[in-house]
Amino acid sequence: MTQNLLKIENVKKTYRKYNLIGKEISKFSALNGLNLNVGKGQIYGFLGPNGAGKTTTIKCIIGILEADSGNIIIDGKNIKGNGLYFKNKIGFLPEQVGLYGRLTAKESLQFYGGFYNLSDNLIEKRGKALLAKLGLEKDSNRRVSEYSLGMKKRLALCIALLNEPEILVMDEPTSGLDPRGVKALRIVLKDLNKKGLTIILSSHVLTEVQEICSHVGIINNGKLIREESIDGIRKEIEKKSIRLLLKVKDFSEKISKELAKNKKIKSIKQKNNGKHEEITLELKEENIPWITDFLVSKGIQIFSIEPQKNSLEEIFLKETGGD
Amino acid sequence: MGLKDKYILKSKDSWNKKKTWHPLIMSLVLVISLAIIHKAYWVSTTETNPDEIWGNKQITKNGNNWTIDFEEEVGDSITFKGILRTAPKFEVYRNDTFVPGKYSEGEALVYSEDLYGKTMLNVSGIRILVNDDLSKQFFVSEIITIKATLVSNVSTFDNNGEIITLVREGWVAEAEDINLSSSKDNYFFTAELLIFFTGLYLSLKRVTNLREQTGLVWHLAKFELKQGIKSPRMIVLGVIFTLFIIGMGWLLGDLQNGDPESAFFVQNANGALQQLCFFVFFVVSLAAIGVSVDSFHKERQANTLNILLAKPINRETIVIGKAVGLSLVVGIPALVAQILGLMFMINAGDFPSLSGIIAFIVCGQIMIFTLVCFQLCFAIAARSGTDVVMYGLGMWLLFAVVWNLLIYAISFALGIDVTADDFENDPKFQSIASHMGMLNPGYVYQFAVGLLTHRTLAIDLEGIPGWLILLALVLWPITCLRTATKLFKREVRG
Repeated sequence: MTQNLLKIENVKKTYRKYNLIGKEISKFSALNGLNLNVGKGQIYGFLGPNGAGKTTTIKCIIGILEADSGNIIIDGKNIKGNGLYFKNKIGFLPEQVGLYGRLTAKESLQFYGGFYNLSDNLIEKRGKALLAKLGLEKDSNRRVSEYSLGMKKRLALCIALLNEPEILVMDEPTSGLDPRGVKALRIVLKDLNKKGLTIILSSHVLTEVQEICSHVGIINNGKLIREESIDGIRKEIEKKSIRLLLKVKDFSEKISKELAKNKKIKSIKQKNNGKHEEITLELKEENIPWITDFLVSKGIQIFSIEPQKNSLEEIFLKETGGD
Repeated sequence: MGLKDKYILKSKDSWNKKKTWHPLIMSLVLVISLAIIHKAYWVSTTETNPDEIWGNKQITKNGNNWTIDFEEEVGDSITFKGILRTAPKFEVYRNDTFVPGKYSEGEALVYSEDLYGKTMLNVSGIRILVNDDLSKQFFVSEIITIKATLVSNVSTFDNNGEIITLVREGWVAEAEDINLSSSKDNYFFTAELLIFFTGLYLSLKRVTNLREQTGLVWHLAKFELKQGIKSPRMIVLGVIFTLFIIGMGWLLGDLQNGDPESAFFVQNANGALQQLCFFVFFVVSLAAIGVSVDSFHKERQANTLNILLAKPINRETIVIGKAVGLSLVVGIPALVAQILGLMFMINAGDFPSLSGIIAFIVCGQIMIFTLVCFQLCFAIAARSGTDVVMYGLGMWLLFAVVWNLLIYAISFALGIDVTADDFENDPKFQSIASHMGMLNPGYVYQFAVGLLTHRTLAIDLEGIPGWLILLALVLWPITCLRTATKLFKREVRG
């Protein structure tokens, strides 16, 4: 059983607004008793709709915000009162990367490295290796203001990894990156994870989460509603029905009932544009050969068949109440 | 649980949370206790209200026989503690300062030739005749103790053709019975400082990671300095402000040689130095706005603050580091300007006291730190760069431009006729002005320099004792910095 590196226990966080005389005028509960576990060596994907509490959770983990109640335990120690100790162990890559434009990459690394009590030589050595790994070596003497967004993200990642953290927390790491950048990042993260780095990332890009992560947590309204390994989710997806999108003609209600009665196949009529109808069928994979024979034998004209695999998106939308 | 129990529980909880600062809090309690003992010492060993004794004298005019009596008995000795209201050099009797045989109502005596070479001191309102010339031994505003004896004599004088016999009681003292109060005050102040610094040291020892965080303060300060000093905005401001201070320095030096009747005449180099303080304050308060605008607002906009907050650095450390760094950004050019301004002032006029020059520079840097911390409070609390600038300009207008108008308004509200001629010499008005000045960092700077041009801290500047000025000089930056760190720390609660 994987040892838990990060444990969030019943964490609550409410944002409050006060007027000039200190009276509370509004409040919003971002986290309502969040419980979450991240094992050592996992790549944990943190999913949720907008306003679910992902960024608040991340900010509480890295110490930018203080939870109102509950515990955040890292490696058996509560972060309350030990904030500085844990900040030495965590690297953070925010969604909106802010770097000082007038500094070069090397100067940026020297500046941020200074917060970890690292010697200048060590910062230079590690910085050089990280810049090379992330493809920024030849741009290391250019000002950050001249960098593209992708380059800034890579530099920010170098800064996050400078102190060789045990946990890397990333907020929407692929946001703003082109497909090449996304692929490069994926490779780097997997490589880092192989070397023992535990990664927590929040994302809206579910395909990325499916590709990169080993575990997934779905949060909604400040609570964790589902936590599962990616393997577990894949098995669940495989057990579920497959959907076929058909463009057909003369698909009647009688045929729909027959399919449901004989093979428990669900048919959903989507639209009819006059030329053909779009029908979605939910069926087991083993029934695919049968369905085409059946439809043809019934005189249905089939224009196209498209399989639509159930995905993490389906699970996400189902868990968060979307359609 | 009743309200009282809740309050006790809350207080206990609050006290337990402040474990780190227990030694400092206890030392402050001890300091306050010692200050009370200090005050009690003077009240018990001296007469601290001489004006009352002088006010209680009875002048009886019985035809041609006048008497001046005090409540005390002739031969009684009292040690008075008070402020020299006038400079002794102006109070020495010389043969060209009075006509013998004339009666002085203010001094309650008849002038005679045996007064030549003696000094009539005004100690917080009481007149005491000292059997010596005290010029250059004591100075105006110094707080002294003086042991005086009540004596009686008889003299006659011509009062518009009538010969009046005056049986007069008066206070006399010897020069060796006069001492600066600082000769005793220093023991108390030294003990208070020792207790305070011991408490502070013990508290700082309890702060976890203090050494590391101090190192980070310097790391951040150096970064801010490098960024700020290269900024085109600061280069332009620095040049303009330096030229302004140099110009004012030269002008103040030149005005020392001007017409003494002129409204712009500057009496001496120390006076010119105090006025130069105002001009330094005038420009550095604007510079403080200039540097603070980008300190937090720009970091929030550019999202650099989140990466910084994720580093192993306390929020307090971030504020202190920025305060130190930005103070250097303003302070280093200001130091150059101060030195050049001084040089031009000395070149055109006289040389001020060395202690005054050191105070001008050192207190100036403290004042710059105060103003930067003050502006950082706005920078942290404001949600836009425009707000930061507007709040900052508002404060600059208040402290540097309209402060005097505020004093006039408050004086008027308190019943002083500000339309009368020479109202500014009214002691009540001066007391209001000086007390209000404690609420203005620029005035505190001027007072501190004025205080430190003297040879002793036992000074009372228009109702403000020297120790209070120094306390204000220290409390201003601490309060501003503490407010800034508190505002920034509050954000961690969301």
